[in-house]
Order: sequence, then C-alpha cells, then structure tokens
Amino acid sequence: MLTRHSVLTGALFLAVFGLQLATVDQIHLPFGGFSIFLIFVLSWSALSSPEVGAVAGFFAGFLLDIAPTASGPIGEWTLILTIVGFGIAFLRYGDDSLRTNPLSLVVMVAFSVVVSMSAFLLLTLLLGSELGNAKQAAKTILGNGLWTLAIAPFVLPIASRLHRAVFETREIA
Amino acid sequence: MRYGGDNRSRLLVVTLIVTSLFLITLDLRGVSIVTGLRHGAQSAMAPFQRAASTALSPVGNFFSDVTHLGRTRAQLKKLEDQNSLLRKSIIRNKDLATEVKQLKSVLDLSGKAEYKIVNARIISQGTSASFSQSITIDVGANLHVTRDMTVICGDGLVGVVKEVYSSSALVMLVSDPEFHVGARIAGSQEIGILNGEGTDVGTLQLLASQSSIKVGDILLARGSVNGKPFVPGVPIGVVTSIPNSAGSVSQMAKVRYFVHLHALGIVAVVLKPPATDPRDSLVPIKPTPIPTPTVTIFVTPSSISSTPSPSVSQTSK
Repeated sequence: MLTRHSVLTGALFLAVFGLQLATVDQIHLPFGGFSIFLIFVLSWSALSSPEVGAVAGFFAGFLLDIAPTASGPIGEWTLILTIVGFGIAFLRYGDDSLRTNPLSLVVMVAFSVVVSMSAFLLLTLLLGSELGNAKQAAKTILGNGLWTLAIAPFVLPIASRLHRAVFETREIA
Repeated sequence: MRYGGDNRSRLLVVTLIVTSLFLITLDLRGVSIVTGLRHGAQSAMAPFQRAASTALSPVGNFFSDVTHLGRTRAQLKKLEDQNSLLRKSIIRNKDLATEVKQLKSVLDLSGKAEYKIVNARIISQGTSASFSQSITIDVGANLHVTRDMTVICGDGLVGVVKEVYSSSALVMLVSDPEFHVGARIAGSQEIGILNGEGTDVGTLQLLASQSSIKVGDILLARGSVNGKPFVPGVPIGVVTSIPNSAGSVSQMAKVRYFVHLHALGIVAVVLKPPATDPRDSLVPIKPTPIPTPTVTIFVTPSSISSTPSPSVSQTSK
C-alpha cells in the first residue's frame, strides 16, 4: 500500500515538475511569475498527514534541487520543503476550521510559498552564495505569493481529486 | 482533532532533515555524484523544454510585454530620438571630414608656395539669376582681407576678392564671364589670358601667334605686381582642346579648371604673396595608374595526353 502511494505520488510530482520546467518557466510573467510545482506540492502536503507531508516535501525539494535552473546546493530545497511540508500538514491536520474552509487553504498555500522562498533566500545567504539585488528578490517573493493566491484556487481542486484517488481517505470540502 | 504524532513519525522527520543536511554537505564538498544529477535532469528535460519553447514562443513574452507596454513605448521613443541624433552626427561628421580634407589640401598648397593665407568657409553661393559666378566667404576686413586678393583652394585658383565687408567678402569665381587672369603654360612658359565663360571650362588666348600648345598642358597664374589681384604659381587648369584657329591672329585653347566650383567648402585668401615666385612647383602631380593583375590561360596540346592541358600565367595591364 505504502509503495503504491509513493510511486503514484512520485509520478504525479514528476509530471507537475515537468510541466513547470517545460511550460510555466517558458512564459515570462510579471513579478517573477509563479511555481505551479510549489503550489501543487504544498497543496498536496496540506491535504496529507504530517508524515506524508514531510516525505512529499522531501521528494519535491529533491526534484527542485536537481532542476537545471536551481542555483543553490543540492539538499537546500529538500531541507526547506521537508520542514514546510511537515509544517503545513501539521497545521492543517490540527485545525478543523481550516479543513472545512477552502479559502483558508488557498491563503495557507500562498503563505507557505512565501515562507519557502524566504527560507531559501535566507539559507542561500547563510551558505555564502550571491543572490543579487535584495529589492528584486523581495519583489519576486511577494509576486509569487500574489500569483499563488490567484492560481491556487484552480490547482487545489485538481490536487484534491488526485489526492483522493491516490489515498482514498481525504478530500477538500 | 489535534495531531499528536508519535516517535515513529518524529524519527521519520528527523531522518529526512538529516538526509537533507547530508546532501547539502556532500554538494558543498563537491561530490561529483550529486552534481551529476543536475546534468542528468537537464539531459532528460531538454527535449521537452525545446518542444515547449517552440510551441510557446509566440506567447512566451506576451504577459511581460503587456505589463511593459508603456515602458516599451517610452524606450522606443528614446531610441528613436537617439537614432535621429546619431544620424545627424554621422552627417555632420561626414561634412567635417570633407572640410578637413579641403582644409588640408589648401594648407598643403599654400605651405608649398609659402603663401600667407587666411582660411574661410563659404557661407553663400551666388544666385543664378544674376549670371555672375560668385561666392561669399566668412572672412572680411576683420581678418585683413582687402579687394583684389587671390582666393585659392587645395586644387588651385578659385577667384579673386571683389568686395570686402566687415566680416565677409564677395569672391568672383574663375568661371565668371568677366574674370580674366594672366596665365602661363607650365614648362614652356608661354603666356596668355584666360577668360571665364560661366562654365567649368574657360578660354585661353595666347599672346604669341606662333606659340606651341597641346592638350594636357597645365596653366598656372602668372602673377601680378605685388601679388594683386593674382599671386604667381597658382594652378588654374588643364588644356582639354585646341580649336582649329587657322587664319586667326592668336592661338586659342579650352581649359578645364582644376577647382570643382560646385563642391567648394573651404577656401583660403592669400594675404601675402611669397617672396620668390614658386614657378612650376605647384603643378599637380599626375596620378599613376595602379597595375591590375589579369589571369591569362593558355591551352597547349600535350605530347603525352590526348587532351589539351591549360597553363596559367599572370600578367599586368
């Protein structure tokens, strides 16, 4: 059962990761655009138990780390998304109001995107890498948050249906 | 329902975090297995990225272009203005280059003959309505220019100063129908009078009826007393034709001026003639043709082979 869950989740993540690299990254959107992969992964984690959220975050982070466009060392996104995936699942798992309110889930995913990107920025600085203009970085993070608020309502229902199909246990209201 | 968790899940999360830190450490220490993963991912994704890039190229920049529309328009306007300025600058530079060339040639000529000159820019061309051939230059009494001074350019005689104003002067061109200048043929020293005819060609009337003149002879100014109105030795033109003058008292010749009167920009007014006559030293040097190599192919029948074999030789024409 666990193997089936892992394989299906991995395949879905790979598909969305491919979609991100092949299509979304090709479109130059204002304010840095959005990451459909991050939105999908964090939505997935939010719908899962904390353990699954952490594992999903770990796998997704590893994919981001080996992406050709990744700038930091391998393991950086893995660490961040493991923690954020666990955190979002933990918060949602313990709060019934959040579980029954899709809007709060959208806000939480957008917030998680901002936290993930900010953590990546901070960790990159701590590891001694250059990140360029701080104002531009802040603009990109904020832009990603806003884009996520706009895109997440369309991604969440798909993620919820796929999650239900894989786990057959939980679904969004 | 509050999630409590258990030791197993905590252990899982800790293991994942430690693994992440381990990966970071490996990568920062430059372990090649980890860095090779990115190359593998790039190789795997490249065909999809190429295909998507081709498919999305028309809309790839649409959103960013829409948001930058105002900025792009302003940038376009700025670039157009810059382009216009650069065009003007190029035209101005070309103009300056021509002026520098003319100035250099007039300085060369006056330096060789030791004329004391003042340079002038042409500020006005004479009108065709008056039939007179004249120009106005931007120097006058302010720079000690007086009437009947010789005006030259790098190619030779331009004309003579007819009127002087405070900061400009009117110059009668060599082609003016009222223009007459004493001339001599370089080499033979035959003398005559050249008259303007309103065109690029003047008429030379030799004083001696037995003078020998031929096409290609070069005419120089003979010079006047105290160098006014003409300083000696200034090149005027070249004989282009000798009309049949049987029965006439003196011999005539058509002379084409060295100076291109329609393309004048910078001229010089000779303030003081040289202490000694430069004689024929200002005669322009004839340009020597540069030989052009031509390839001639000779076909000779070969004694061994039945087919003729070509041989190539290079000659100069």
